[in-house]
Amino acid sequence: MAVSQAAARPLWLPPRSRGLKAGLSSLGALALSLVVGGLLIVIAGGEPVSAYSSLIDGAFGSPYGIGQVLVLAVPLLIMGLGLALAFRGRVYNIGAEGQLFMGALASGAVAIFLPVGVAPVLIAVSIVAGVAAGAAWGGIVGVWRARWGVNEVITSLLLNFVAILIFTWFVRRPLRAPGSPDLQGRAIDPDAVLPTLPDVAVHIGVFVAIALVPLAAYLMASTPFGMRVRMMGFNAEAARTAGVRSGRMVIGLMLISGGLAGLAGSLQILGVAGRLDLGISQGYGFTAIVVALLGRLNAWGVLLAALFISVLQSGGQAMSVTEGLPYAIVLAIPGVFVVFLLIADRLARG
Amino acid sequence: MDVSVSMSGIAKRFGTVRALAGVDFELRPGEIHALLGENGAGKTTLMNVLYGMFPPDEGSVALGGREVRFRSPQDAIAARIGMVHQHFMLVPTLTVAENAVLGERGGRLLRRRELAAVSARLGELAERYGLDVDPQARVWQLSVGEQQRVEVLRALYRDARVLILDEPTATLTPIETERLFPKLRALAAEGASIVFITHHLWDVIDWADRITVLREGERVGTLRPADSSPEELARMMVGRDVRLMRVVAGDAAPVDEPPTSPPKHDSDAAAPTLAVSGLNARGDRDTVALHDVSLSVAPGEILAIAGVEGNGQPELEETLAGLRTPEAGTVRLEGRDVTRADPAERMRLGLGLVPSDRYRRGLIRELSVADNLAFDRLGGAPFGSEWRLDRKAVASHAAELIERFSIRVDSPDQLAGTLSGGNAQRLVLARILSRDLRCLIAAQPTRGLDVGAIEFVWEQLAAARDRGVAILLISTDLDEVMSMADRCCVMYRGRLVVDWSRELLDREKVGLAMGGATNGAPPEPARSAT
Repeated sequence: MAVSQAAARPLWLPPRSRGLKAGLSSLGALALSLVVGGLLIVIAGGEPVSAYSSLIDGAFGSPYGIGQVLVLAVPLLIMGLGLALAFRGRVYNIGAEGQLFMGALASGAVAIFLPVGVAPVLIAVSIVAGVAAGAAWGGIVGVWRARWGVNEVITSLLLNFVAILIFTWFVRRPLRAPGSPDLQGRAIDPDAVLPTLPDVAVHIGVFVAIALVPLAAYLMASTPFGMRVRMMGFNAEAARTAGVRSGRMVIGLMLISGGLAGLAGSLQILGVAGRLDLGISQGYGFTAIVVALLGRLNAWGVLLAALFISVLQSGGQAMSVTEGLPYAIVLAIPGVFVVFLLIADRLARG
Repeated sequence: MDVSVSMSGIAKRFGTVRALAGVDFELRPGEIHALLGENGAGKTTLMNVLYGMFPPDEGSVALGGREVRFRSPQDAIAARIGMVHQHFMLVPTLTVAENAVLGERGGRLLRRRELAAVSARLGELAERYGLDVDPQARVWQLSVGEQQRVEVLRALYRDARVLILDEPTATLTPIETERLFPKLRALAAEGASIVFITHHLWDVIDWADRITVLREGERVGTLRPADSSPEELARMMVGRDVRLMRVVAGDAAPVDEPPTSPPKHDSDAAAPTLAVSGLNARGDRDTVALHDVSLSVAPGEILAIAGVEGNGQPELEETLAGLRTPEAGTVRLEGRDVTRADPAERMRLGLGLVPSDRYRRGLIRELSVADNLAFDRLGGAPFGSEWRLDRKAVASHAAELIERFSIRVDSPDQLAGTLSGGNAQRLVLARILSRDLRCLIAAQPTRGLDVGAIEFVWEQLAAARDRGVAILLISTDLDEVMSMADRCCVMYRGRLVVDWSRELLDREKVGLAMGGATNGAPPEPARSAT
């Protein structure tokens, strides 16, 4: 009996071990996962110390390297915040990848076609379109679950493939770059391209992402909405009995997390790719799930997790080039980390 | 003196909670020993230690003078100890015989011939102890009382010489309770030792040979019923004097005219606060749970719905609160049709629900006591707005209710899951009764509570009634119905079968009606046995 209760406890509440103990167990899990990563490096024929140092060097060794870490962190952070909020209410949106692509498509289409001469207006409209499209794509899932109780994990997961195929079709057919033979979509209006910070080559979307962190933290902790989300996550029956309108809440959480994924997609188009391009996400929508979980569904935790993972991934690319090691090793480390973290939580519970 | 079980100095902690602090307990062959105490006193924990569910932190257990260390219930079963849990551990889709051997034989399938032998032996045992159950019946077809007999039978099948029953009377009708104890007596007469855990004083007085009272993890004393009184036992349980409310009825004026007319609808002059007519609803397994239920509750009236568990009470509770959609019928609140309204809308119109399952519906264990006291009214004054949750207002609201409803907490920031049963119910009542209520559905409001807490709940309900709230009290506890009801209906198999006003209430008749007998007719025979 005690066991099943502990297992059912939501992830972000390490019972009786908040604060120091949780921090220590996280650090222990991190150390262990780096050790496992080191083992993988050895197996792949590398040398762990020099591999890790080239990873660190790649991430922090130059302003450009730091910039790349931040650019990668932007979509992970934005989507991670939305997912953290939804997961708190036990709305398991696995569809951020698809919502990102739908946001990117809408935002890109606006940025290509809308004849507005004023850059800030064009950018604003394009971003709003991206948010709306992502929200709509997530909202469908919310409506299905609220109306007919369809499991959102399955629907949101499957809608990823639909969204990616729709995006691909547009890029191949109606919005293909003129004269381009391959999978390149049209470039957006130069007015719509986000300004970039000098030296580091980071688009200004990074400020949007950072500003969202305290906003999300406030929403989660200090509003009735955040409380209702927690109520649903802890005990949906009691929440419903106490007058929380769970259908609306589910739809709301899907709209918010979808909208944020749409925002991430929009910023990828306007700030990173400058054109419609399938390469705007390397599965970031899925990585964002790991970010949300690693951050323990806490806004500031998500910020740390997003930075941690983008250091690993961005630095890891440099490592795989200089050390000739497979990039997949780097991708494995966060996964191993999550597993150790869950084990550490379980052990800390006793 | 002959002793079958001796536990000494048993201590057990769960985290920071001290469940048992050095308890001694002794059991003799041939006795029925009651373990009495409030919720959270440590009764079940003590017996779980004996049954090998977990080891004690300190202390030792000896069987027949030899010290034993059980690592699991398997060890305890091998040592001929059996336990009937409050929530039965039976697989509904299997037969009685299959349940009896479940877990015994490392997962191998039973051959039909073996199963026949098991059935025969069960039949024999059933006959010998008068525990009539059909070994071939599937458990889901059995009533709660029958299932309990299956549990006892299973323990006997495993040759239990020590039989532990956790709250055996909690789910039984008064009649079933009266049938159970003579059977336990017969078992004891053959030398078995029987422990029953309870917080019902009356069970204890009537049936136990010895009584051990626990309070807050310590043994207060062990005595014989003849050397004690209900008042003394209550004082030992609670640690202070308690006003006992054993019910007036039974001795009430005899009634000539058995008023077993069908429930009257809308006949009362005062406009009813709650008016339900022709309600039909299905249960979770898609079976029809409510048949044409009609009732009305006037302002300042308590209508009690008596009945044995499993006759549609949860569905009635849920349908009225807006948590279950009825198939037919209407629910009106102060004349307004709320049949299709969601719980939030009904709450806005003055409906309150004290849910029967307080941990599943009434509170959120993972949130603080303060949050639990406010979470149904966030988003407006005095708790800030939709855009800001005023934590200070939540805290002062909590402080006020904790005081007013004497909720025992270390701090309002304590998680609600750490509260004992009685305190948890105080919390639920505090939140709901502090709303602006017109109508209250109180479903099993004192289930599992001790004498002191029951007293408190009843006082609160009476006070709400006196303020003019219309109260629908759904209860399986006959004592509660008899003490609280201004009017009483009995629910049987999804129907309301009688409607008696206070003057016509008679304990015997209500008890019979709960078993399905109305108008003096004998109860309908249950499906198989009985």
